[in-house]
Amino acid sequence: MAYKVKLDIFEGPFDLLVYLIENAEMNIYDIKVSEITSQYLNYLSLLQDYNIELASEFMVLAATLIEIKSKMLLPRPKIDGDESAYEDPRAELVQKILEYKKFKTAAENLEQLEELGLKIYSKPQEDLSQYTKEPDEFIDLDLSQFVKAFNLFIQKKKKIEDIHKRYEKIEQDRMSVEDRMIEIRGLFKAKSGIAFHDLIADNQDKYDIVLTFVSVLELIRLNTVSVRQHTSLGEIYLTLKKPKGGELHHDE
Amino acid sequence: MTSKKTIKSAFESMLFVWGDPLDVKVAAEVFNIDFKEAYGYFLELAQEYSDEGRGIEIREIDKKFQFCTRLENNDYIEKLCSPTKEKRLSQPALEVLAIIAYKQPVTKGEIESIRGIKCDRVLEGLAKKELIAEVGRSSGIGRPILYGTTPEFLKNFGFKDLGDLPEIEDIGETVQKEEENESIDYQQIALDFREA
Repeated sequence: MAYKVKLDIFEGPFDLLVYLIENAEMNIYDIKVSEITSQYLNYLSLLQDYNIELASEFMVLAATLIEIKSKMLLPRPKIDGDESAYEDPRAELVQKILEYKKFKTAAENLEQLEELGLKIYSKPQEDLSQYTKEPDEFIDLDLSQFVKAFNLFIQKKKKIEDIHKRYEKIEQDRMSVEDRMIEIRGLFKAKSGIAFHDLIADNQDKYDIVLTFVSVLELIRLNTVSVRQHTSLGEIYLTLKKPKGGELHHDE
Repeated sequence: MTSKKTIKSAFESMLFVWGDPLDVKVAAEVFNIDFKEAYGYFLELAQEYSDEGRGIEIREIDKKFQFCTRLENNDYIEKLCSPTKEKRLSQPALEVLAIIAYKQPVTKGEIESIRGIKCDRVLEGLAKKELIAEVGRSSGIGRPILYGTTPEFLKNFGFKDLGDLPEIEDIGETVQKEEENESIDYQQIALDFREA
């Protein structure tokens, strides 16, 4: 369980390394690489024992530590007997640790400021619409967006006008031929012969007249009615034919 | 000419109505005075509030001013609005935020190289809280996104502007000074650093 607690603390490989160095009270400029490396690796293997998935970055630092350790084991080359020209293999690592520590400290400072900041309250942007007479609606558009929107509107308008020019409005059929045929046959219940003129009452428009005429033609075709016209251009008389067996379904 | 007293009084009312930090420029336009004059009035007003020890302070954020409560009254406000919301940032979030605040504009790669670990999620979280934002693209390979802090960051952490951030560049030096007397071995290396 103790490791679980520690896991929350170390946010990255440098975090762990800084902790180990400080814990061992080591001088950051004189890291005992061998000691730190073994501590670091021990910690990693402990984590692995607990089946904790390690970020690959931890391994990268482990490799770096081992590399530095092996370099430290090599004898220092003496250039003209001047030892100060020798470059410490730890230098780059130390610089990185310092850089990290710098921001870790900065983060701690920020944390304190955040703590203070949370204790100061302020208001969000007020809704000013309750104070304005006619609330203006502002659309956040730049000029090019506005021009685009305007062009789109013009295009749409043109398209609609185009359609109006080329096409005419049509109305839905008010009554179908089938319906009118049923109506006409219904009239024969009262009388046996009907004049075509009676079928088209005075107030009927062209559509109704054509509809009635087509319906009558259809009734003739189906052998339901017969027609007679005594004189040319004279009145047309319709009579119901005796229903045959096969046509019974025409009766409602 | 409108008198100074009237303008200051009006600014005070405007701060009350506005809520959010009020831009000095917007306030200046109302009276048709220049920015510097308006800015001065706001500072005077803020000073008056603080001199009198009022329960309300006028805070400056990024050339804007806002009413906010006095820090000392936190306990009472918490009692008024309990239970209060906890919204502290996590340790990694604070670290990433610190790096961005001090090194902005900065790429994700630079942040990761300092912390030694990936930080995509942390960046996402900070952006969602509107503490950081994309501020452009680096001219480097792949034109990576550059991150910077937002006015929301200044507001939450009580900074007037980015110049208000506490100094950190001397942390390395203080460590050096502390340890100067302890180790002889270190001096060689320290020399290397100064050159680097």
